[in-house]
Amino acid sequence: MLFSEIVIAGCGNPLFADDGFGPAVIEELRKLDLPDNVSVVDAGLGGPHFIFTLLDPEVTKKLVIIDIADFGEKPGTLAKFRVEDLPPGSYRDAHSWDLTEPLQRIKDLIEITVVGCQPARVTDPEMEIGLSDEVSQAIPRTVQFVLDLVGIDYGTARPYLRKEGRQCGIAETCKTG
Amino acid sequence: MSKVVEISPTTRHEGHSKLVLKVNDAGIIETGNWCSITPVRGVEKLAVGKTPEQVPKIASRVCGICPIAHNLAGTEAMEASIKCEIPKDAKMLRHILQLANRLHSIALHDILILPDLYLPGTETKINPFTAEEPVRTVAKRIQRIREIGQTIGQIAAGDCIHPRNTRVGGMYRNVSEQAKTKMYDLAKEALPLAKAQMDLMIAILRNYQARDSVDVGGMKVPLPKTLGFHNQGYLATHAFYGASSLDENPSWDIRRFKEARPYDWYMGEMEITLEEPKYPIGGTTKLGTKVNPQMEACTGIPMYDGQPVEVGPRARLAVYKNYDEKGTVGQNVAREMEYPDCLYEMIDCLDELNTNGKVLADNIPDGDGSLGWASNEAPRGTDVHIARVKDWKVQYYSMLVPTTWNFATCSAALTGAPWQLAEVIMRGYDPCVSCATHMIVIDQENRLVAQKLIQ
Repeated sequence: MLFSEIVIAGCGNPLFADDGFGPAVIEELRKLDLPDNVSVVDAGLGGPHFIFTLLDPEVTKKLVIIDIADFGEKPGTLAKFRVEDLPPGSYRDAHSWDLTEPLQRIKDLIEITVVGCQPARVTDPEMEIGLSDEVSQAIPRTVQFVLDLVGIDYGTARPYLRKEGRQCGIAETCKTG
Repeated sequence: MSKVVEISPTTRHEGHSKLVLKVNDAGIIETGNWCSITPVRGVEKLAVGKTPEQVPKIASRVCGICPIAHNLAGTEAMEASIKCEIPKDAKMLRHILQLANRLHSIALHDILILPDLYLPGTETKINPFTAEEPVRTVAKRIQRIREIGQTIGQIAAGDCIHPRNTRVGGMYRNVSEQAKTKMYDLAKEALPLAKAQMDLMIAILRNYQARDSVDVGGMKVPLPKTLGFHNQGYLATHAFYGASSLDENPSWDIRRFKEARPYDWYMGEMEITLEEPKYPIGGTTKLGTKVNPQMEACTGIPMYDGQPVEVGPRARLAVYKNYDEKGTVGQNVAREMEYPDCLYEMIDCLDELNTNGKVLADNIPDGDGSLGWASNEAPRGTDVHIARVKDWKVQYYSMLVPTTWNFATCSAALTGAPWQLAEVIMRGYDPCVSCATHMIVIDQENRLVAQKLIQ
C-alpha cells in the first residue's frame, strides 16, 4: 500500500528559499517515531500527480498538507485552511484533462487540512537555498500543530496551540507566543 | 497570406509553454514554434561549490515530475567525474527505481492523451474520469499501475518522489529479501495489467489514426496521415537505463553536442491575426496581441550532430529496436510498447539483485577536476548531466533535460498539420516543461554566451 490512513505531505521547492518550508517540516517529522498509520511524504513539486491523484479514500482518511501561503500576516505566522479556502490554481494537476484540481475531487472523501506558513522571501525564478529566520522558527510550532491535528500526543510539554472559541473549518491564524 | 495564432498556455503537461503558429489560409501550419515560457532558473550556478552529494538532491528539485531521473543522472555524473564504479547490486536497485518511475509515467501519460482520443466505434471522446464503463475499469487499471510503480520506487529508493536511498558511490542500503519479494510480486501483478493497457491504448490510437477528421472545440478538423512527421534524427543512449562517460563504449559524445540560442532559432516579433474563441480551453490569444518567441523562449536549442533530435520512447525503440513508425501516433504507440518492456527488465533486475550484496563502493575518490557525464533515459527521453568535481567540490554542472531536446524537433513536426492539432502533436512528446529551462548556452564556437540571462 502506497499511502496509509493519515498522510502528511510537505509541498514546495527548497530551491526558492522559504518555498522549502513544507519539505523542511517533513525532515523534522521524520525524526519522530510516528505510528504506522501515518505516512510522511516530501512531496516537493509533485504533490498533485504523485500524491493527491493517487490517494485511495478507502485507505486514506486524513490528509495534511504543509506549505507556504500568502495571507498577509507577519512572516512565520501559521494558518489553517480548508480546500474551499484555497484560491483557484492551488495544487492544480497539470496532467488533469480539464484543469480541475485533484483536491476538489477528494475533499468530500478525505479530510483535508492545509497548514500554511506566511513566507518572508520566495525567490522564484532565482534559486536560493535556505529558509528565512522567521520561517525556520515556525518549524517546531508546525510540527507540534500537525501532531495535534492528526491526534498524536506523546505527553511532552508544549504550548497549547489552538485558540479557544475558534470557528471550526475556516481559515484561521494559529499564532503562538 | 499567412496568419498567426497562439495557443498559450498549452495544457495537460508539466510546466508552462506555448505554441506560436504561422498558418496558411486553410489553417495548415507553415512554421510552428513551441517554446518554454518558464523563466530561466540557474541550477548550474547554484551547484558550483556544493558537494557532490548535495547537487543531485538540488537537481531533483528542478522538476515536479522527473525528480528520479534528475537524481540518478546527477548522482552518476558526479560518479563519472570522480571515476567511481558502483557495485552491481546498487546498479540493480537504481535500474529498478528508474523502471518503476517509467511505469508510473507511461500510465500518467495515458490519462493525459485519452481526452484527445475516441472510444473506438463511436464519436465520443474519452473522459478518463467518468464513472461510466468501460472507461471506469480502464481508469482503475491505470491507477493501479501508477500505484505499483510508485510503491516499487518507494521500496527501492526509500521514497517514491525524492529518492533518499541513492548516494554518490552507490546506495545507502540494500533491500531485505522480503522487500525484494514484495517488489517481485508487484511487478508480476503489473505485467498483465500493463499488457492489457498497452493493447487497449494501441487499439484506441489506431482507431484515431484511421479517422478522416476529428473534433476540436466543436470544429471539424481534417486529420492528416502525416500528423507529427519530422525528418530530424533520434537520440537515445540506452534501451532502458542510461550511459556514462565511464562506459567502455559511451553511447553519447559530448563533442557532437552543440546548443544554439533561442534568438537564432525562433520567429521574431509578430502580431496575432487569427483568434479562435472556441478552441479549448478558453480560446486562443486575442487578436492584435504582440508575440515574440525569440525573446520569450526560455530554452536554448540543443543539437546533436548539428541538428535538433527527438528523444524519448520512440527514439529508444528506433535506436535500439529498429522501430520505424513516424508521426504522433507512432510516438504514442512506442510509449505504450515500453509498458511490458520495462516490467520484463525490472523482473530481470530483481532476479539479478543479491540482497546480501554490498551497495556502496569501497573507494569514493574526491575528484581531480575531470569532466564526466551521465545520461538517464527518463520517461521523456535522454537526460544528460555533466559535472566536474575536484576535492569533493562541484566546479561545473550542467543539465540537458529531455524536453529541451524535443522543443525544436516538435516545432519541426508541427509543419503541415492543422493548427488545432498542434497540442495533440506536442502531447506526443509527454512534455515536462518546468525543468526544461537550461541556462548554459554554448554557441557554434563553443563559447559560453547566455550566462548573462541570469545576471
